[in-house]
Amino acid sequence: MNASNQAGSAGGNRIDGYARALFEIARAEGTLDEVEDELFRFARSYESSDELHKALTDDMIPAAKRQSIVEDLLGGKATPTTVQLVSLVVAGGRARDLPAIIDRLVQRAAASKDSEVAEVRSAVALSEDQQDRLRAALANATGRTVSLKVVVDPAVLGGIVATVGDTVIDGTVRAHLDQLMSRL
Amino acid sequence: MTSLHALTTSFVAAAGEGEEHIDRTHSAWLPEGYEIWFGGIASVMIFGLLYWKAWPLVKKGMTARTERVQAELDAAQQAEDDATAEAARIRSAKGDIESERARLLAEADQRAEALLNDGRARLEREIEELEAKSIADIASASSRSADEMRSEIARFAAAAAERVVESSLDEATQLRLIEDFIANVGATTPQGASA
Repeated sequence: MNASNQAGSAGGNRIDGYARALFEIARAEGTLDEVEDELFRFARSYESSDELHKALTDDMIPAAKRQSIVEDLLGGKATPTTVQLVSLVVAGGRARDLPAIIDRLVQRAAASKDSEVAEVRSAVALSEDQQDRLRAALANATGRTVSLKVVVDPAVLGGIVATVGDTVIDGTVRAHLDQLMSRL
Repeated sequence: MTSLHALTTSFVAAAGEGEEHIDRTHSAWLPEGYEIWFGGIASVMIFGLLYWKAWPLVKKGMTARTERVQAELDAAQQAEDDATAEAARIRSAKGDIESERARLLAEADQRAEALLNDGRARLEREIEELEAKSIADIASASSRSADEMRSEIARFAAAAAERVVESSLDEATQLRLIEDFIANVGATTPQGASA
């Protein structure tokens, strides 16, 4: 095993460790479903915002300041548990790994319910009814119980793209336009 | 001594006999007899003296002059021989130089001809290569331009299509797209998951 593999393995272990810790805390608080949903949405927002990414990963900014940024951002919009968990990761200097930690936590939560995470991207928000029917449709298509995580992403223009494990079901206008571009 | 005295006495006596005609000679053309004697003896003595003392010197000088002249003649002959030999050598060398010059000129001509042929061949090859490269470059540039134009047209077409689609995506259309997706996914089986 070379140095890069060792470093990668150490990073993976660290991400797993954080994910397991957050999962256990949320489950102990009894707010796992709500917290994992909030964390998932925060991870997607964090990925799409360069400004937020820079602010939370800048080592020149004191940890307390970075934590206050998280609290200002999520305060009143998420449960206290979610805010504390994100602050914990940021204070630990692992903000770069935040999306990976949260994704691992979501997978762990889904596995604990014997289901699989289905990340759904849509140009517009889905109603509860649409989410229920989509969950059932994806369960029917994959043969497994799915835990739906909806991300509103205007970049898809219209329609939905669902990712379940390695399976991608793309019915977005963006995908059709990309196919048209390729044919052109 | 006695003979000399007798001779002098006879001379004086002879002089006394002609005393009365002292102012003229016996002949208008010849000197007196004793003068002939005295002159002859003196001449013989002078010539003898000259032959005895001066002739060896004259002979020696003549011999030396003869030798000098002979040496000069020999030197002149030697110089002539040397000049003749040098002239022959120069003529020979000139002949060699002429042949060497001819050989060098012939060799230079051959080399120049070879270089000219090589240069001509290389130039022809380079021209052919340049032509081939130019044709390939033109073809590549043409193809690249066509590709770029196609890509640009595709980009504009896609951008235009996106604008048109965006403008046509109202709430009802969004809803219909979502419902269609759910319906299509729900209709698939676990083995053939596709939208």
